[in-house]
Amino acid sequence: MSSPLLVADAVHKTYAMGRVQLHVLRGCSLRVERGEFVAIMGKSGSGKSTLLHILGALDVPEQGQVVFDGLPIFAPPRQRHFYAHALDVLSGYERRRIGFRRRAFGFVFQFYHLLPELNVLENVLVARMVGTSTFAWPAQRGVARRDTLAILQHVGLGDRLKHRPAELSGGERQRVAIARALVHKPQILFADEPTGNLDAAAGAELMALLKGLHAEGQTIVMVTHDPSIAAQADRILRLDDGVLRHA
Amino acid sequence: MYKLFLTLRYLRKRRIAYFAIAAVMLCTAMVLIVMSVMGGFLDQLKWKARGLLGDIIVDNQSYSGFPFYEEFIGDISKWPEIVKATPVLYAYGLLRFQGTPQTNTVRVVGLRLQDIYQVNAFKISLFYERYYPGTTTLAEQQQPLLGFDLNAPPIDWRDEQNEVMGQGPRALLPPAYQKALERSWAAGIVDTESPDTEWTTTCRAAKLPPIVGVYQVVPGVGPPEMTGDPGPGLIIGRDILAKRLPDGRYQRFWYCPRGCLVTVTLLPATESGTLDTPVKPLFRYADDSRTGIYEIDSQHVYCDFNLLQKFLHMDPAERVDPETEKVIGVVPARCSQIQIKIKEGADPYQLTPRLEQHYRSFLADPRFRDQLTMGEVQAIDHITALTWEQSQMHIIAPVEKERQLVTILFGIISLVAAVLVLCILYMIVLQKTRDIGIIKAIGGSSAGVALIFVTYGAACGIVGSAIGTVLGYFFVTHINGIQDWLTAINPAWQVWDRSVYSFDTIPSTVRTGDMVGVIIAAIVISTVGSLAAAWRAGRMQPVEALRYE
Repeated sequence: MSSPLLVADAVHKTYAMGRVQLHVLRGCSLRVERGEFVAIMGKSGSGKSTLLHILGALDVPEQGQVVFDGLPIFAPPRQRHFYAHALDVLSGYERRRIGFRRRAFGFVFQFYHLLPELNVLENVLVARMVGTSTFAWPAQRGVARRDTLAILQHVGLGDRLKHRPAELSGGERQRVAIARALVHKPQILFADEPTGNLDAAAGAELMALLKGLHAEGQTIVMVTHDPSIAAQADRILRLDDGVLRHA
Repeated sequence: MYKLFLTLRYLRKRRIAYFAIAAVMLCTAMVLIVMSVMGGFLDQLKWKARGLLGDIIVDNQSYSGFPFYEEFIGDISKWPEIVKATPVLYAYGLLRFQGTPQTNTVRVVGLRLQDIYQVNAFKISLFYERYYPGTTTLAEQQQPLLGFDLNAPPIDWRDEQNEVMGQGPRALLPPAYQKALERSWAAGIVDTESPDTEWTTTCRAAKLPPIVGVYQVVPGVGPPEMTGDPGPGLIIGRDILAKRLPDGRYQRFWYCPRGCLVTVTLLPATESGTLDTPVKPLFRYADDSRTGIYEIDSQHVYCDFNLLQKFLHMDPAERVDPETEKVIGVVPARCSQIQIKIKEGADPYQLTPRLEQHYRSFLADPRFRDQLTMGEVQAIDHITALTWEQSQMHIIAPVEKERQLVTILFGIISLVAAVLVLCILYMIVLQKTRDIGIIKAIGGSSAGVALIFVTYGAACGIVGSAIGTVLGYFFVTHINGIQDWLTAINPAWQVWDRSVYSFDTIPSTVRTGDMVGVIIAAIVISTVGSLAAAWRAGRMQPVEALRYE
């Protein structure tokens, strides 16, 4: 039996809301196998996005660990507080997280989060530029551009390359975001309410696209509050009171 | 690669960055203009101050002067590095134009005219010598009177608009002066230093050399002549006898015609330094000099060295024992200064100690040792040899300090650009907080994100300083044209009043070193200005940045 791609173990996360400490995650544990499509459901404000950010190395938990492909993403909890500040930049774990975000993880956000100054092609291409030095780029530019065009064709935006995000519909923007998340061929795709900002038709189109990717072997972890969207995943988990349960 | 890509993209798309570039540009141009104008001012001042000096000046800073200068000059003239050496005398006096109320306190300089021509640029400072070559002398001379050529056909008299007003005889100077004037006219030397008059317009229209300068006219309508008792020539600083006009030209006073009589009251000093009875010799105004330094041109007059030496009782005299009243020797002649021209390539800083040492060696020289008085020993002991720059340090050093001070002040003012870059980039970082989150989410590192904004600041510095340098260089090289253009629009906008400053044009010297220094400083300041914004951007956590509203 192959080892799981992603394992979360007893993850805790607290937010300070003024004087009140909001304990959002209270020991979440999770295993995601390779090629699996997992949906995490929960009410609004239940901490779904927080959990996804931690799984995707965008945020740091106070306690618990996330292991990706056998490698822990965060420093041991005793060091974490120390690393979370100035020296975090210098720690090996921060470098590891950056490396995962560059090469192994892909993110799709509810609000697309495209760079408004860049056109469709550039928005996707910039994800290939990250991690490539200025000197190495000329040699890699041709391949990167070819891959970018291919993925944009795949998501149906081959004819919108020069358009800026402001000139696209919500569904198109989300497809650009998917293309950007996939352009470096990530091992796992994190999708945070990918249909949350789309109308029903656009949402359905997007889910069809995600299902197609999953069919091609892409591992996907998706957060949603919509049961009909979650139903299209292999497995559904529910986040209640800061703890993950099987739905 | 994304750092450079995003920096360039933000630079093009974020128009607010243009303000940062504009601030850097203006500050670069401002500092460059200030440095160039002050540098030009300093260069001009040095050049002008150099005009009346040799490469090396031997002096003892005493009104009573120092002896044995002829022997010293004789000795050093044999040195291979020395081209020419000449003694100079300095005294104070009161100048008065005969028949006028004008009286000036002046510094009287005694010099050997032909020698001084070889030592420094005094000759080119002379007005009449330029248009009447060979006519300026400090020897005895009469006053030339302007007359008329009654045998030549009359010429049309024209006003300043070149309209014919009538006819009149052709003006003529005494032969030596007329011939000299015609020679310079034939050589294309035209007076651009004096304002145009009906006379010059008439002459030019008749293709005759205009009479340059101010001459007294013969009584009635007669031929030119030399008149009056001969008197020694005196060269007078131009600002004493002419008014500087706003356009930089000089309007000579009508009551100071060439050759007119002037009195100089002199205060001789004895060998021991006490003042003697004033003497009041008469001179004839032979020429006027303009070095370009107002302090010199408004206070200096120049006469023959030997004559002044005699008036100041600094010529050789019998030494009398005060008790026995018997002649016991000779008081050697004294001078105030020796100006030395050295060969091209000779190092003046190596020569000055040698010259001092040689003069001091006179104290032990058997030729002079036994006849020296205590006063003469002291006079020789105090002799110093200075390069022209060292001797003019009192004029040059304040301007050099002023240049440094103004550059520092404007440099400090230019820190405004750094603050502006900081504010603008900080604002961009706030505006772009979500973008920073996106970049971090796709794998951008903290250092990489910070570097985007540092590069952005540096890019503002590079673009701003490049444009600023071009703008500053253009401004500096066209500064006089710009001023003329502004003055043409409104005369009140004239910044550089030529009647106030010594120089005809606003001086400016663009030094490559200064330019490179300003560019580097602008880039560094701009980059430093971006650090706070870069630090904030780098420290942002991706999730916090993505949630930023």
